[in-house]
This record gives sequence, C-alpha cells and structure tokens, in this order.
Amino acid sequence: MARRATFQKAINEALEQEMERDSSVIIMGEDVAGGTYTEGDSDAWGGPLGVTQGLYTKFGDRVMDTPISESAFIGAAIGAATCGLRPVAELMFIDFMGVCFDQIFNQAAKFRYMFGGKAETPVVIRTMIGAGFRAAAQHSQGLYPIFTHIPGLKVAVPSNPYDAKGLLIQSIRDNDPVIFCEHKMLYDMEGDLPEEPFSIPFGEANFIREGDDVTIVAIGRMVQMASEAGDALAQDGIQCEIVDPRTTSPLDEDSILESVEKTGRLVIVDESGPRCGMAADIASLVATQAFDDLKAPIQTVTPPHTPVPFNDFLEDLYIPDTERVVKAVRNIVKGN
Amino acid sequence: MISVGILANPASARDVRRLIAHASTVTVAERCSMIQRALIGLARMGVDRVLIMRDHGGIAQGLELAQKNRRKDQPLQWPKLEYLEMEVGGEATDTLNAVTMMCEQECRVIIVLGGDGTHRLVAHACGEIPLACISTGTNNVFPKFIESTVAGMAAGALAVKKVQQELVCLRNKRLMLEINGKAQIPALVDICVTSEDWIGTRAVWRPKDLRELYLSFAEPGAIGLSSIGSLVLPRARELDEGLEIMMEPSSTNGIKVEAPIAPGLITEINVDSCRPLRLGEPKSIRIPKGTLALDGEKEIEFNAEDQVKITLDPLGPWSINVDKIMGMLAKNI
Amino acid sequence: MLDLNRERLLQAYETMKTIREFEERVHIEFATGEIPGFVHLYAGEEASGTGVCMHLDDRDSIASTHRGHGHCIAKGVEVKGMMAEIYGKDTGTCRGKGGSMHIADLDKGMMGANGIVGGGPPLICGAALAKKTLKTGGIAIAFVGDGGSNQGTTFESLNLATIWNLPCIFVVENNGYAESTSSKWSVSLSGNATDRAAGFGMPGVEVDGHDFFAVYEAAGEAIERARNGGGPTLLECKLNRYYGHFEGDAQTYRPQDEVKNIRETKDCLELFRKKVTSDGIVDVSDLNAIDQKVMKLIEESVVEAKAAPNPAEQELLTDVYVSY
Repeated sequence: MARRATFQKAINEALEQEMERDSSVIIMGEDVAGGTYTEGDSDAWGGPLGVTQGLYTKFGDRVMDTPISESAFIGAAIGAATCGLRPVAELMFIDFMGVCFDQIFNQAAKFRYMFGGKAETPVVIRTMIGAGFRAAAQHSQGLYPIFTHIPGLKVAVPSNPYDAKGLLIQSIRDNDPVIFCEHKMLYDMEGDLPEEPFSIPFGEANFIREGDDVTIVAIGRMVQMASEAGDALAQDGIQCEIVDPRTTSPLDEDSILESVEKTGRLVIVDESGPRCGMAADIASLVATQAFDDLKAPIQTVTPPHTPVPFNDFLEDLYIPDTERVVKAVRNIVKGN
Repeated sequence: MISVGILANPASARDVRRLIAHASTVTVAERCSMIQRALIGLARMGVDRVLIMRDHGGIAQGLELAQKNRRKDQPLQWPKLEYLEMEVGGEATDTLNAVTMMCEQECRVIIVLGGDGTHRLVAHACGEIPLACISTGTNNVFPKFIESTVAGMAAGALAVKKVQQELVCLRNKRLMLEINGKAQIPALVDICVTSEDWIGTRAVWRPKDLRELYLSFAEPGAIGLSSIGSLVLPRARELDEGLEIMMEPSSTNGIKVEAPIAPGLITEINVDSCRPLRLGEPKSIRIPKGTLALDGEKEIEFNAEDQVKITLDPLGPWSINVDKIMGMLAKNI
Repeated sequence: MLDLNRERLLQAYETMKTIREFEERVHIEFATGEIPGFVHLYAGEEASGTGVCMHLDDRDSIASTHRGHGHCIAKGVEVKGMMAEIYGKDTGTCRGKGGSMHIADLDKGMMGANGIVGGGPPLICGAALAKKTLKTGGIAIAFVGDGGSNQGTTFESLNLATIWNLPCIFVVENNGYAESTSSKWSVSLSGNATDRAAGFGMPGVEVDGHDFFAVYEAAGEAIERARNGGGPTLLECKLNRYYGHFEGDAQTYRPQDEVKNIRETKDCLELFRKKVTSDGIVDVSDLNAIDQKVMKLIEESVVEAKAAPNPAEQELLTDVYVSY
C-alpha cells in the first residue's frame, strides 16, 4: 500500500527535501520558526498552523522569522532571489497581499521583461487561501486570480497532498516567481504521498475522473466537491470528466479545450469570486475558442460577490458545495 | 521690554561621528523640546520677548507646530516669540547674521544650543552680550550639558537683572587665526593642524593625521581633542594660559596618552611636546601642508605658500554660570 | 581618504562629468519629442552617486529610484546601452523593454532604476541578505529620495536591516522636493531624514551632497562598517536637482532664480574642479581632456541610439518567464 500522509506533511517534506538538496533555499516569514528571541522555545510555531515546524531545528539560520513587515521581507526575498538565493517566503494569508503587492506584481513579476531578459527571480511565495475556517472576511479569500492576472508570475493551487508536494518542489526549482496557494482547509487531508522528492510540471492539468457527458473544471478545495458530485451523478448515469488545472498560471488550456471538445458541456467550480475570477476566465477561454463544441451554456459555480461572512451557517452558504455542483450539471445534462 | 535671543543649530549632532564613534544623536525634536523648556524658564523670570531665527532645519517649524497643536486646556507659558526678519540660506553666515540682529535688537543674553562649532560662530558676532551655553550632543567642550529649563531661568534672571553680570559671568579665551594676514573666525577651544589633504566630512578622528594642537583651555573631564592636553598638563578656563602641543605619530620620544578624542573613541596619542600657550604670543604652524580643524571641524586646507598664525586672546565671549546664578537666587533662610 | 590619489580623482571627475553631460543631453533630446515616455534627470546630484559608488565593486549591488541614470553610470552600466534604452531601441541595456525608469544591469550589480517610489529598499535588504548568507563580502545600497523616505517600504526596510544586521546602506538623496511638494513639509521635522535613523537604532549621518569629498568620506566609512559586519547606516545627502521632477515639469513650485543660484554657487563639478586643481595634484588640462572625452562619448551614444533598430515584433512576447 502506498504511503499516506497529510497535505501539511507534504508541504513540510517538500521544503525539507529541497533545503537538503540545495543550500541556497531559505525560508522566511512571520513565525515560520516562531519564538525568535523569546525566552521560551524556538521553533515554537512552525507557522500559524504548524506547517513549517521542525525545519528551524534542522536548518537553523536558514529558517528566518521576520517582523510583521510584509513589504520589507517579501521584497527582501525577491531581492535575494535576484542575487543568488532561492527564498521561500511565506505570506501568511493571501488576504495580506495588500501590504506587499507592489514588490510582487511590479518588481518580481516584471524584472525579467523590463530588464531585457537578464534577470532571474527564483522566489516562491507560499500563502494560505480559502474559506471554511470561520476566519471571516480578511482571512478567508481566494485571491489567486489577481496574481494569475499578472504576467511574469506563476500560480499553483494544489488540491491534494501529492500535487502539493510535487508542485512545491517544482516551484522551488523553477526560476520564475511562483505564488504557491495552500488551502487552509486541506492541510489535514490525507492522500498518497511518495517519500522521495518528485516534481510536477506547471501548466499540466490532472484528470481526476474521465467521462463523456460533462467537463467539470475544479480548482483547489473545489476538486473535492467536484469529485463527490461526480460520484453522485454517476449513480444517475452521468459520467463527469473532472479536470484539476493544478496551476492557474500557466493554465493548461489545451486539456480544458480538448475535454470540452469531447463532452460539449462545461461546469466550472471555483472558490475565487464571480467577478474577474478563474471561473470567468475559463468560461471566456472556452466560449471564445470552443464555442462550436458547446452543446449547452457554460455553468459556473462560485461564491457570491460578497466578502466572506463570519457566521458559520452563512459561511457554509458562501462556499460552493457538492449539491450546487450537482445542480449545475443537471442544468445542462439529462440523467437516466 | 526685556529681550533674550535663542540661537539653536539644527544641523549639529548629525555628522560622521555617529558612524565611526558612538556620538549621540540629538534629534531636531529634542532640540525643540529643549528650547520650549528654556522659554518656560525665561518667561517665569519675566523676560518679555525672545528672538529666534527662522531656520530651515526644523526647529522654527517645530516651535510653530508646538504652539499650534498644543492642548487647549493648557495656556502657553512662553514669552512673546519673534522670528528674525532675515534671509536664511542654511549656511554658517545665518548664525552670524542672526546673532548680529539679536545684539542690534537689544537682547540682554543669548541662549545657545549647539556644539563647539555653533558657539564659535555665535561668539564671533555677540560682542559683549553674555551667552548661556547649552550643549547638544556628546562631543562638546565649550558648552556643557545643562538642563534647559534651569538654563532659561538663569538666563532670565540675568536678563531682568536679578543678578549682576560681573558676579556670574566668565570672560572666555579664544584662539585667533590668521591666514596670509587675513583674520579668520576665532576658535573657542582648539585649533588642530592635521596632515590630511581634504576637509571631507569635517570630523577629526584619525590619530595618525594629527600634528599640532593649540588649546585655549584643557579641562580635566573633557572629551575631544582638548582631552589630549588635559591628560598632560591641565589648564582651567579661568587661567591666563592655554596649551601648544606637538604630535608625531611615528616618533618614539614623547609621552603617550590614552585620550578620548571622540565619544566612544579612545586612542593612543604620542605627545612630543606640550607647552603653555601664552596670551598674545603668535605661533606659526610648522607643517607645510594639511588642513586646519577649528573646534573639532576641519575647515581650511593650506599648503606651503600659506602663512598660518595662531594667537591666544583673552577677549572671547562672556558665558554665564548657571549654577552660580541659581545659587544667588536661593532665599538662604 | 588616502586612496584619493590623482588617478582616483580623475576617475571621480570623469564619472560626474559623464553623468552631467548625459543628463544635459537627454534634456535637450527629450524636448525634440523623439524620446518616448518619462525621464527624470539627475543633473546637479552627481557628487552623491559618484561619492558612494566609487567605493563599490562587482560584489556589490545598488537599487535606484526613478531618477536612476546617475546611479547607473556611477555603478558602471555602459553609457551607450543606456542611451539606446532611453530611446527604446533593441541595442538598449534592457533591449528597449524597460526604458528610462527601469534601466538595470544585474551583472554589474545594478538592480534597476525603479518606477515605484520606495521600491528599492526591500530589494536591497534581500540583496544584502544574499551576500551575507553566501559570504561574498558584498554589500547593498538603496538610494531613495526625500519622497521615498516617507514610503512604508523604507521604514520597514530600516527596521528589518537593523534587526537582521544586514550589510547595507540607505542613501537618502534629499533634494528638497518630492515631485512638487516641499520635503520640509512632507518629511516631518523640516525634511531631515537623518534623525529617523536614530529611531531604529541605526547611525544616521548627514553630508553636503554637493561636496564629493564629504560624500566619499562618509560613504566610505559606512561601507567599511557594513562590509565588516557592523550593520546598516543611513546617509543623507542634502543636494539639489537642476531640472524638474520629470522632463516637462514647469517647476512653478520653485522660486524664480533658485536653479540659477544653485548652478552658480553649488555646482558639484565646479567645486570639485576648483579644489583639485588648486593643489597641483591635477592639472586643468587633465580635466579638460576628460571633458572632451565625455562629450565625444555622449555624442556617439545619441547618434548610435537614434540609428539603432526598434526591437523586433516578436520581442513583445519574449522574456515574460525564464522557461518560456
């Protein structure tokens, strides 16, 4: 039987193995070790949810706690990347991008282009996304479309432990700036996880399930909803093809278009919001490039265009669930 | 109407000694605070009017803000603050012009906040008007660290004639400097001849470059170049003598002293000779080429064609003795 | 400053003169309308960039502002490439894809002029961290203006550099104007950035930015301190810019004769000339020879830049990523 481990473990392992392999890989972020200069334990936190715990004990100074100064330390990670290090910086919550966005989208993303091809910025910014934690509006967003919009950045949104490890290792080895999005509700998810290091290329979707009746493109945690919907619909004779893009930039457009060419029907389920989000982006791609293959209107399943509510009942309404995916499929596919 | 002048240098305590030694930083904010304390002391003693320069370094701006943004439930305890009507260029001449105007407008005392360099400039323009000398920064010899509130009270007491000038003031010495027959602004504490080619950032701190030192006084407990003298042959301010010191880093004769020439910087100085410097006896400097530092700041580059003469002079500025004044105000019951 | 021998003095003059003539020429050429976009000229500030960068070598990195031509030249970026870049040509330092505000040459440790005010300091913290971690002996310098000294990124970087003890220097080039706004108002306490360093426990030093020797000496001490693990310094150079914030700025916010007076009394090149020739170390003819050499270089740069081709059409899509 394959070894099973959590999404959290997958990330910790990817970091550990890459740091072992390459001494230029360093980690920095708020509380990534935790306990710096206190009288208590060092390595006290390992990040707010313990994802990086143990790394400080093993690698010492290469795991650096930072003050709460995102502009400075995200910028520092970027600057260091142009000068020979391969930093993995942690932007604790993607919701905090507002306090360091310039360094990411105007500096890191544009160096290579603006400087005529002479810059390399091998920085990884790991960040937590997603709702469900009852963390409310400022700690629950899925803002990866904003990074996806910026040319020069790569964006990974893994949905399971295997992809998390493979994509993080690829991110660290990649010479472009990467935004690596970890859904906070997935940390405890268990899955098959090889012990040895391996990498997954960017821009290659994963087909979770094959089917002829409808294509469901699902991102991040929504892959679970889509999978459950696929199981439920199969009982009704509806065979769903579930495509997990794994990276939103670059996006595996070919796989999506080929799948729609086969099925003629598309449902997109994504936790980023309905305006200018991934659902809108993928819908536009398919509508402009595969219009003739479509046998029904494109369906999108997203949260409403609101901030994330605090109340648990309301938050659960906010997050797209399996039932809504099933409903969307049934809008365009007749079952038995 | 009783008037007092305040001359505060916004630019001191920002030089390279903060970097190569442990010189303190006295921020502009702190200087504003010191002035406000002095204003309260002056007001309490009955001084009506205070003249101050509208500097470009943040002090005047800070005082205006303090007036504007103060708590409404606390009345302002200052004398009438007047800004001198003059052009301010951010140069040494500003100080000279400001002090000249203060004298013309009948200031009875001038409170100076600054280092040796600031006091040197004020002294050149203040004539017979006594100075209350407040040090800002750790590298100073001429002014002392005195608390500004009390300094304001003391200066105020003198201005309103609660005490007599002859009893509470000292006439300081100064070092006259002539280059090719042309008089320069005299130094109050020291003139140092260094072998360096360039003025650069003005500070003097490399012992190997020091060659000659002329001191108007050398008090024990002083920091800076005059400590070299005070560790060999102390000369009090009140004494009719200064010191003339020759240094040669490479020679093996002479006396070695461990001198604190800058805050946090104690170096070994080789003193070849140290003689009393008498009033009125001009001295010609010996080395052919180098720079002259006056009161701790390199200012003049000279070479073999220049004739440089230094003379100790008794007619420097009057300075007030704050402790003495406050002592005289004691009720002695 | 024993290392300021004849050769070094001539080098300093040549650097400052190259910057001056480069900027004066760009000023003229920009007015013809042939240069696209924005340019921000460094004329008047030469002593600052030169006095600092003369201490640096290939181990060291600098990050600049939108007013970056002077820093580029002082750090050794090739002048002809720079002029071509300003014209947006394929032979430019950045293949015509960056322009005046983004000229960079990472091989020479020039991490870029920056279109974002305050964009440099965090990057320099990173460069310094890299040099410290990789033990290259290098240091990193962030140039910011008085305006940039107010950006949050600058404050964060001052703090981070201090607590991580980074080998870096923050040079605040205070020319009194943040675009059209007086820094005496916008930088609290009458436009003095130096005092802020004290708030972070960092040494802060102010020098006259028109005086090459003052800048050179203070910068030298700060750089040596950084190289030897002593941590960061803030160096404020008080100076003046001759031209507007950008070319095309009518500068109505400046008093009538301000620039004229500054050019007459505080021209750092003239001050330098006077000082070095009065001692006999350097002859007027040496400096005049450099003047001629520089004018020739600038003339050639412009001629070649104008004649150079635009980037090819497909260059629109290249170099977005390393891998494709």
